[in-house]
Amino acid sequence: MERHDAIVIGGGLNGLTAAAYLARAGVDVLLVERNERLGSAAAGFDIHPGFRMPRFTLGTSSLPHHTVTDLELPKFGLRFMRVDGGVSLLADGCYHASYRDGLMMRRELTRHSLKDADAWTRFRRDMLRAQFSLRDALAQPMHDPSRRSLAAFRALLGNADQLAIKPVPDLHDMTRLWTMSCAEFLDSYFTSDIVKMHLAAKALAGTTFGPYSPSSARFLMNLFSAETEGAGGGAPASVLAMGGPQAVADALGAAIEGFGGHVRTESEVTDVILRDGKARGVALADGEEIYADAVLSDLDLKRTFLALFPWKDLPKGFVERVGRFRMRGVTAKINLALDGLPAFPVVPDDCPALQGGLRLAMPMEKLEQAFDDWRSHMPPRTPLIEALIPSMSDRSLAPLGKHVMSVAVHYVPEVLHDGAWTQSRKDDFTDLVIGEITAHSPGFKDLILATETLVPPDIESEVGLTAGDFEQGEMSLDQMFFNRPMPGLANYETPIGNFYLCSGSAHPGALETGGTGAGAAQRVAAALGRNVITRRGVGI
Amino acid sequence: MSDDTKLNSIVEPPPLVADVNDANTTPRPPPVPRLNLAALDEISRADPALFEDRRADPPFSRQVMTTPLHFYVASESLTNLWCNWNGYTVADQLTSLDDEYAALRHGAALADISPLVKYRISGPDALAWLRRLVTGNLVSLSVDEIIPVVFCEDRGLVVGDGLLFRLGDSEFRLVTEERHLAWFMDSAIGHNVRIEDVSKTLAAMSLQGPLSCAVLSEAGFSGIENLRCYTAHWFNVTGMPVYVSRSGNSGDLGYELWVDPDDAPAFWLRLLDKGKAYGVKAGGFALREIARIEAGIPRAGVDYLGAFSAVDPQSALTPFELGFSALVDLNGEHFTGREALRKAKTLPPRYILATLAVDWSAPLTFAAIRDGSGVAGIATSTGFSHALGINLALATLRPAAIADGAVLHVQAEVREELSLRVISAAARILAGPAVLLPARHLVPAPLVTRR
Repeated sequence: MERHDAIVIGGGLNGLTAAAYLARAGVDVLLVERNERLGSAAAGFDIHPGFRMPRFTLGTSSLPHHTVTDLELPKFGLRFMRVDGGVSLLADGCYHASYRDGLMMRRELTRHSLKDADAWTRFRRDMLRAQFSLRDALAQPMHDPSRRSLAAFRALLGNADQLAIKPVPDLHDMTRLWTMSCAEFLDSYFTSDIVKMHLAAKALAGTTFGPYSPSSARFLMNLFSAETEGAGGGAPASVLAMGGPQAVADALGAAIEGFGGHVRTESEVTDVILRDGKARGVALADGEEIYADAVLSDLDLKRTFLALFPWKDLPKGFVERVGRFRMRGVTAKINLALDGLPAFPVVPDDCPALQGGLRLAMPMEKLEQAFDDWRSHMPPRTPLIEALIPSMSDRSLAPLGKHVMSVAVHYVPEVLHDGAWTQSRKDDFTDLVIGEITAHSPGFKDLILATETLVPPDIESEVGLTAGDFEQGEMSLDQMFFNRPMPGLANYETPIGNFYLCSGSAHPGALETGGTGAGAAQRVAAALGRNVITRRGVGI
Repeated sequence: MSDDTKLNSIVEPPPLVADVNDANTTPRPPPVPRLNLAALDEISRADPALFEDRRADPPFSRQVMTTPLHFYVASESLTNLWCNWNGYTVADQLTSLDDEYAALRHGAALADISPLVKYRISGPDALAWLRRLVTGNLVSLSVDEIIPVVFCEDRGLVVGDGLLFRLGDSEFRLVTEERHLAWFMDSAIGHNVRIEDVSKTLAAMSLQGPLSCAVLSEAGFSGIENLRCYTAHWFNVTGMPVYVSRSGNSGDLGYELWVDPDDAPAFWLRLLDKGKAYGVKAGGFALREIARIEAGIPRAGVDYLGAFSAVDPQSALTPFELGFSALVDLNGEHFTGREALRKAKTLPPRYILATLAVDWSAPLTFAAIRDGSGVAGIATSTGFSHALGINLALATLRPAAIADGAVLHVQAEVREELSLRVISAAARILAGPAVLLPARHLVPAPLVTRR
């Protein structure tokens, strides 16, 4: 009978991070992954012989610095590249690029408005301020404030203390950022439309919010999540992992084994073994049973409880509440192998910001319309298109001179108002997106060697994410912090003893890549009498 | 530039040549503004040129920004040492810091200060807007006078500081270290005022030192000795108009010349030529820095952070904490941040900016100022004063560090080849700037005849 200290179900970035932290703390941990390769949504594939690319995600990395150093990922083969933040193209032949260098960014903003070039200083300051206070919040476990434990009480006092010492105007600023709509918030900084469109499109990509939705402004600060005070004063950088997100997953897998843990791929967990209302282990699809003192699930909340447990064994009303947890797909993925580098005549030759990707920006009203279409389950008419050509900076991904292009299309509904996605619907959608890109890049269509289109239902069936929701639960204010995944389930605990949630459905979710994994590892290690040391929250 | 010519047709320019004695001894009749409001409105509305990028090369291409004087400064360089000032490539040292310093304190030092940010503020409400913007009292500021100003946001935290020139009845120039156009334009809503960044269309050079007046006099600026401190005057030298202000940040007698970029090289060469006998030398940015540290003048972005760039709210300071108390008039008219500053005045300061002397005969590198209990403050600018033989620092200190009997010291690492010595040197707080010479205020300014 196989036995471990802890079992992690699912090899997504959170599960891998949790297992790696546990293994480093000396816990005998086993990670079980259904697919052949690790990574889940981060997985890569060969779209065409010799063309490797991220299959489900755009391909930029947001793995926090402290995870990389804590888990010694460079030792396990991980290498990063920092590039400029990308280019936004507008239909009228205008473009806006993000540069990391402060002076370059200033010159770029001056092209649009001299005033906006100055306003950038204030915008950047406010975003960094918000980001730093959020980082402090992410660094500590999120306790349920209604629970009368000493730790929760202490945390509550600490928060109250922090709020009390904040000058009132700073609180006003914080409230504005967390409640205002993105478009109106940007109006209070910038005058030039393209700057606002660029920032809004960048911030809202992949969220379930439109530019005029209340509380959508807070996504702007996520753009600065990896930014440090000492950086050059320009726009935030895009970070690419050499080899794509798959390389991050592989390095985390190597780290687990390097720290003495175990990884098993191509085995699917079908059940959690319960005894006396507590989790004792897992049962695999082939009937094998593995036992452990703690079981962590890297599946989203719905899949975890609706697929791994007999519903009758769950507390009364819990299944119903799990069912009401909002998970909504917004993003489709189009993968392309290209015979050459597409040209974008609007952008000056050799613009370094193109390495950070490009998006087809649109006026706020049109973006809002795209969001409305998504909300009413219309087939996308003007979706938000974001693309990355990772082979521009990582030449190992495609044969020399050829490229792969990863296209993420946002505001794509999971279900259409008149039925499901059919193959012909998908073909129309692919044509629409490729047509939009071709409008900015003459001859683009002729460069395509291979195409793959994945709409949210495809992502659900391939990755296992309910509704194809990459956030693993909508990041609306009612499903965040101590309310994530739902009231009463803070701090990675579940109604089942010894069973913990380490997927993005728990806090901090999409706020920090691998953050839930690291937090859950801390919680589980404490339960097992071990200590996980992470450098979360310590200034980078 | 086209804007300036357009405006000249609207606002009568001041006379280019005038008798300085006359201007300063007898009260000057108030200039009669000949404002054509309709025309002014017209150009205020249609001003796309201000927001247009006139350069064809993309932002990411290699760009070395140089001042109009760059090639003339470069030809003085014996060291090939350069630095970045506000994005411009300027000389750090030209000959050697010792020689340049000797010229500054015993002759006169000429420097290119064109990278400073210059705003032209005009329009019927220019004065009204400026009164709301700056903390000081502008009531007594008449034409051709200058006043150092500081401006705050609503919370009473300093956004920036600068030098305000009154060029005409409703025309001003504000010279700052950092750019503030966004704040200026936001706060100007509701005022009939026009704010332009004229940094690129105006060259500037400074001539500082005990013999600077003599050099200018020799170069043809007749009557310059009668110019009072913080006043300015138009001169016409060899047919070129130049606006000369008696200002500077060396703590000594000094002048600054504001001139058309096309004429700047001629003045630069003329001053070097005519000043040869007086020991005039061209100086670089390092000299400017040590001079201002000796004079105890904080620099925006270095010694303090503007309220809109400080990420930690605790890093933004009030004028009282920065030693700008004299520039704040709480009893005058309303200005942005007045209520907050009234309140701040009743509270003990969180920090105090002070000049610190560290007695050590060689330049030291240090940041932390320590007292018995730990770090008492941070040195934001440090420099070695050759004349005084001490290390000077502008430091932001906790008030406790200034209390009587507080013993301060700094720790510095001195590298000697492959070994390292950690020294601890005593630091003392100076009551005022290290160098502040009475010649700044003397009228007539000392004119030394050629030896």
